[in-house]
Amino acid sequence: MKMEEKPLSGPDNTRLEALIQDVYSELVEDACLGLCFEVHRAVKQGYFFLDETDQDSIKEFEIVDQPGVDIFGQVFNQWKNKECECPNCKRLIAASRFAPHLEKCLGMGRNSSRIANRRLATNNNISKSESDQEDNDDLNDNDWSYGAEKKAKKRRPDKNQNSPRRSKSLKHKNGELGTSLSSDPYKQYNYNAGISYESLGPNEIRSLLTTQCGVISEHTKRMCTRSHRCPQHTDDQRRAIRLFLLGPSVPTLPDADVEGDSFDIPNGQALLSRLQWEDFPDVSPTDSASSKASKEMSTPSIKPKPEDLGFINKCIRFSHRHQSFRFQEAQKEEEVGSELEQWRRRSKYDWSQQQQLSE
Amino acid sequence: MVVVFSLFDADRLPNLARRSGISPTNTMNKEARLKASINQKLTETGERDRLKELLRAKLTECGWKDQMKAQCKDVIKQKGLEHVTVEDLVVEVTPKGRALVPDSVKKELLQRIRAFLTQHAS
Repeated sequence: MKMEEKPLSGPDNTRLEALIQDVYSELVEDACLGLCFEVHRAVKQGYFFLDETDQDSIKEFEIVDQPGVDIFGQVFNQWKNKECECPNCKRLIAASRFAPHLEKCLGMGRNSSRIANRRLATNNNISKSESDQEDNDDLNDNDWSYGAEKKAKKRRPDKNQNSPRRSKSLKHKNGELGTSLSSDPYKQYNYNAGISYESLGPNEIRSLLTTQCGVISEHTKRMCTRSHRCPQHTDDQRRAIRLFLLGPSVPTLPDADVEGDSFDIPNGQALLSRLQWEDFPDVSPTDSASSKASKEMSTPSIKPKPEDLGFINKCIRFSHRHQSFRFQEAQKEEEVGSELEQWRRRSKYDWSQQQQLSE
Repeated sequence: MVVVFSLFDADRLPNLARRSGISPTNTMNKEARLKASINQKLTETGERDRLKELLRAKLTECGWKDQMKAQCKDVIKQKGLEHVTVEDLVVEVTPKGRALVPDSVKKELLQRIRAFLTQHAS
């Protein structure tokens, strides 16, 4: 090693460089030789020219390197503009909105099936529902039903607004199909157009009848969608339609309704008796109300007509549920009160006359 | 580059002389012994393999390998697919391969060899 030190460290710097170059060239030659072996093996095995193709396909599959396109030369945000035609309603829907639309349109989803069923049920008789709606409007002028209608109308749009998606789609529909009123299911629903009972299954009918009046209209052949206490139809009509649709085994009306009716009558009598107590302060209030009522009814001058009694009953019944009837109830009370007042005056007069006559 | 190659060629002469069995002079004998001892050191320490691996990686990285393959393709088409031999390839391709090595790779490699030699000379 000492021998080597001298030439390396002295003026023979070029010799060191020469040695370094020698080692380097050996390494490069080695790399070349390795490559040559590799290529030769590939040639003899037959896989060296596998990646070669003809000029046409090279041109065809050339990698495109331009802004705005992918390596195949296609615009990569093309799908944004894609539209699909809905097989049900034949409208063009953006691809990204197609699935939600189909859910609504076909009524396959959780929330949509109810709406879609209703639409199917109502779409069958569009013209009829229009006329029905007019009929209803005429009948709805009745003061008694006003509160109930208002309540129902108020509640239903609220339900729709719970889901922002639905309310959005509603807006969309109104924008596009503003002219064709019949195609909007919500409007039909809100107008209380009624349900054609032929299109419903037995279970649906049963569930409908537990919550709704259900009397089938003679003009429109549709079921009334108001509550059991709807003033347009009588309890007899409701019982008849339940017998007709469900058979005699089913209870004709839910218990709540019957309870309400049985409760109403003594209430009305109590009102009458209360009015009479004022008239006869000497009668003790512990007396039974019914006996007093019958006593008063027997008096020919103040005996209310049967229709009036029903009228009062109805009035009281609604007053329990609707605040807006309080005023009307009060009015009726006043009417009855003034009637009694008149009678009292007249009876006093009669009484004094009788006294005078007896004297 | 010119200087490097002239040095290189001059340096190769004793190497060739030794390989071909021509009786070397005294200085040449010294030179050959020096070379032999350096080669032995490179192999013993494993530095040669490390350098080889480094060079291979660098050459593949900078595209030298692809260029060389293209050269090989030309040679093969020239000679015919069936008749080409390793000798043909080495003779045709090695000079080009030596020239195609990028300067950066060459410099790095020379640096490493020099560092090795100065380290093991003392």
